[in-house]
Amino acid sequence: MVAAGEVGPMATTPVLEVEGLVVRYGTRTAVDGLSLSVRQGEIFGLLGPNGAGKTSTLSAIEGLLTPSEGTVHVVGRDAAADPRAARALLGVQLQASSFQAELTLTDLLRLYGGLYGLRVSPAEAGDRLHGAGLGDEAAKRFKQTSGGQQQRFSLLVAMLHDPPLLLLDEPTAGLDPAARRQLWRQIEKARGGGGSIVLTTHSMEEAAAVCDRVAIVDHGVLVALGTPEELIDQHQDDPRVRAAAHGGVTLEDVFIGLTGGEDDV
Amino acid sequence: MSETTRPMGAQAVKPPLGLALGSLLRADATALMRSGRTLLITLVLPIAILFITGSGRGRGAALGGGGFLVGLSITYGLMAAGLIGYPIMMARDRETGVFQRMRVTPAPAWTIPVSRLVVQLATSLAVSVVVMIVGGIKYHLTMSPGRWLAVVGVTVLGAAVCLAIGQAVVGLATTSGEVSAAGRVLFAVLIILGLVGSTGVLGGTLRAVAGWTPVGALTNMFAAATGSTPWGTDQWYGLIASAIYIAVCGTIGVRWFRWTVR
Repeated sequence: MVAAGEVGPMATTPVLEVEGLVVRYGTRTAVDGLSLSVRQGEIFGLLGPNGAGKTSTLSAIEGLLTPSEGTVHVVGRDAAADPRAARALLGVQLQASSFQAELTLTDLLRLYGGLYGLRVSPAEAGDRLHGAGLGDEAAKRFKQTSGGQQQRFSLLVAMLHDPPLLLLDEPTAGLDPAARRQLWRQIEKARGGGGSIVLTTHSMEEAAAVCDRVAIVDHGVLVALGTPEELIDQHQDDPRVRAAAHGGVTLEDVFIGLTGGEDDV
Repeated sequence: MSETTRPMGAQAVKPPLGLALGSLLRADATALMRSGRTLLITLVLPIAILFITGSGRGRGAALGGGGFLVGLSITYGLMAAGLIGYPIMMARDRETGVFQRMRVTPAPAWTIPVSRLVVQLATSLAVSVVVMIVGGIKYHLTMSPGRWLAVVGVTVLGAAVCLAIGQAVVGLATTSGEVSAAGRVLFAVLIILGLVGSTGVLGGTLRAVAGWTPVGALTNMFAAATGSTPWGTDQWYGLIASAIYIAVCGTIGVRWFRWTVR
């Protein structure tokens, strides 16, 4: 039985189900009939060149835009019919987002705790920041921290309510290798707790290393879906992929071959 | 001791409205208190106006007396906070993605602007009380509790007018640069029209028009609230004008408000 105010049981349904998603901006179609499903405990990579429709897809899942067609279910909750319930089950790190310039990291954790239904005391906020390696930054404002610290803080906010699904839009963009590794430790910790993660990245090396499955989208259409190994196996004989490869075929070669990445340059 | 309402790691919940709104109000109040520019506009400007307009022998009386000057200073503060401080802060947070980050939480979206408006309104009220106290000391004003309440009432109305105009600015202009420019120009135009126009220097027509501008309407009502003049036709016109500004600008500001600059 679900207590009052709770959103619903996890059950065995997919954590995320996207069916026939279409997103249009005026006459331009950004996402064209995309369908995918994410399982519990999975790290799922959404890959595609700039303008492929990745951010529009994430925005539809987050309820920031209403799909022109199709459905999105988060742990069985219809994101269009009950967006607040769906959002309660999501942790989100946006590509271009920030926090109020005047607030410290402690203030911000307390604020977002409230927005996610948690009453976070200053002491508890301090503990959480300490756990994320941000203990010394507790009294600093967001803009006063480094890029890596900002990304880790954003992830900490996204994970504040222990959501079953994390959406990360290019979480490691612009980070140095050490900061990227620290962030990945944090993400792995989230997965270790049973959470699922959907992420976008431009680093194929990173996607191949950390994602259980990846979807490659181009011009809003799903062009490939599977584990990185499956995609390499399936497409290594494709002439477009072979043309992109320099030696053994990698996920990056598959990506460039299927999306015509090098032609765009 | 931990104040967490449920164990971390428990199932996700929709936040209780009081908790979400309370968290927003605390954060917005903290942000406002730490914003030097906003504090300058909101608090320092009306106090400065109070002293500038009243300096010089007999100048205060010539401008309409201490009660009028207190009302005028409060009006300046409300206008500056509503047309410059509030919209710039909103536009900046929109531009940097602060609102988008908040919108992906399960808190109702309407709580975000409502919290900002409530904090601005409360701050304006507090500043007005400070101005009244300082003005009262400076001009030896003795006001009955009824008059104090009347000034508070006009302050709330004035803050609502100015914030509605500010909301319209942030709804119609997109970038923070556009919002800042539009707010400053509007502030200057309305101050000149409302204040200078009401003196009759710009002609009889503009004098009549001035009474219907936000500044003219508010200064007329403040003058009556402080006891400088009796409540009459000008004040009724001011009340009607204020209601129109709130309804029209508030509707425009809500209808055309966008959460992102894209």
